[in-house]
Amino acid sequence: MEALRLEGVSKRYGRRPVLEGVSLSVRPGEVYALAGPNGSGKTTLIRLATGLAFPTKGRAFLLGEDVHKSPAARRHLGAVVEAPAAFYPYLTGRENLRMHARLSGVEDEARIGEVLARLKLLAVADQKVEGYSLGQRQRLGLAAAILHRPKVLVLDEPTSGLDPEGVELVHRLLQELAREGVAILLSTHHLQEVARYAHRVGILGGGRLLDEVVLSGKEAYRLEAEPLEGALALLKTLPQVASARLQGRSVVFEGEPEAALRALLAEGYRVRALAPHRFDLLDYYQERVRHV
Amino acid sequence: MFRLVRFEVYKLFRLRSVRLGLLFALLLPFLWALAPGLKEAYGLVLASGWQVVSLSLLAGMEFLFPFLVVVAASETLGSEVAQGTLKSLLLRPLSRTHLLLAKLFAVLLYPFVLLGASFLGGVLAGMPYGLGAFYGGTGLGEGGFAGAGLLSPQGALAELLRAHLLAGAVLLPLASLALLYGTVFLSTTASALAAVATLLLMRLLVAFPALTPFLLTTYLDLYLRPEAVGLGLPLLLLYTLGFALLAALVFEQKDL
Repeated sequence: MEALRLEGVSKRYGRRPVLEGVSLSVRPGEVYALAGPNGSGKTTLIRLATGLAFPTKGRAFLLGEDVHKSPAARRHLGAVVEAPAAFYPYLTGRENLRMHARLSGVEDEARIGEVLARLKLLAVADQKVEGYSLGQRQRLGLAAAILHRPKVLVLDEPTSGLDPEGVELVHRLLQELAREGVAILLSTHHLQEVARYAHRVGILGGGRLLDEVVLSGKEAYRLEAEPLEGALALLKTLPQVASARLQGRSVVFEGEPEAALRALLAEGYRVRALAPHRFDLLDYYQERVRHV
Repeated sequence: MFRLVRFEVYKLFRLRSVRLGLLFALLLPFLWALAPGLKEAYGLVLASGWQVVSLSLLAGMEFLFPFLVVVAASETLGSEVAQGTLKSLLLRPLSRTHLLLAKLFAVLLYPFVLLGASFLGGVLAGMPYGLGAFYGGTGLGEGGFAGAGLLSPQGALAELLRAHLLAGAVLLPLASLALLYGTVFLSTTASALAAVATLLLMRLLVAFPALTPFLLTTYLDLYLRPEAVGLGLPLLLLYTLGFALLAALVFEQKDL
């Protein structure tokens, strides 16, 4: 069963559509990164997925439970939806976590120390949050999110406001959690950082899910040939080629390179280069959102 | 739920407006006790410390206490929206109605604490005038401040306690109304203004005599008219409940 599933989720504010028919799912142990330009609907999608906002159409499920119909579904959820995460400034970090722990039914005081240590916050745990830096608040937000060992983690820009060491700490933590089986949905502008460990990237543009890119196990090839447009058209007709697209002055395709080469030569195309293509998520993303 | 209520009460009394309100309520009686122009302004010469208590209640209920209650009830949601903590709370497996009920309990408790502070301040400030039997009245019973002969301390205390409790009941629907607007606007200023505007608008409805007995604003002086308790008190409680119910309905579907 998917840990998180969105089914045809749409959101309108008055007559203005913000999201239209977005469906996606995240499996246990999977990291799903949401990318998109500002205003593409990432934050709205996260608010809908966590039950903070209500969809105009569609439904959101956490381990099969509708998050908008059953507040108890959020027992599976850990989330940070603001950067920096918000806390009661007059309470210490530890007291804030204790409050969150009790609301989530966690009575084990040792767990609070455990997450504080995991996020390297023990030194400031007994200071009031009003004295925390942005980065410390952001890490405290993550500590609160994982406090009750959630099965689904939803994070809006989790590395925003962090120094390089903090960014690394968060990425490492997310990878560990994914290995432990936690499903992670995060929004980010830092594609190259998350591309190291994300399994899938959803590209949002104009309120729609434009594309879903599977990052692991993807084999693609870069072809330079003349005339390029004709080569692209030919590759698209081949059953051995799963997908083909223009990228700069090359064609990037997925499929069998030998079959593609044979077909190109047979049709008289001049092939200048054909090599394995290291998938550049940022390039791909920029191309995908260029005309939105 | 008990933990949630306790936490909401704790948070309410952390609010600056609430702390300032309690301070004002405590200090206001001292102002009246020392006011040199009471005779010129109200034709009143203080004869007993009990009169300081009632004077503080009458003055406070004129505007200050309702205003403080409306602001506090508005801020209980508004401040959480402003600092972002409302979202953090609602990310927990917690029903929105339970959270709102906990907040409602806290804001309904506040008027009584506020009036308690005023009462305590009145007693302290009135001590120099004495708290024994006196010839006169509390201003809340028969004969007003002139009274109807000798008033025993027990009699004065009973009148004052009844008036404070009724004043508390008068403030309940205002708190509930402000909380309702808090759920609608998610802003302290907007909900406080909307609550005040609603009360002003309701006052204008006195031009419709058939409606008057059922208007909330008809009973804002219930603490001065104990004879109207029969209809007034159930109506005030009904308004409180109605506003709370509407607040829960709005909050259940509110986008955050």
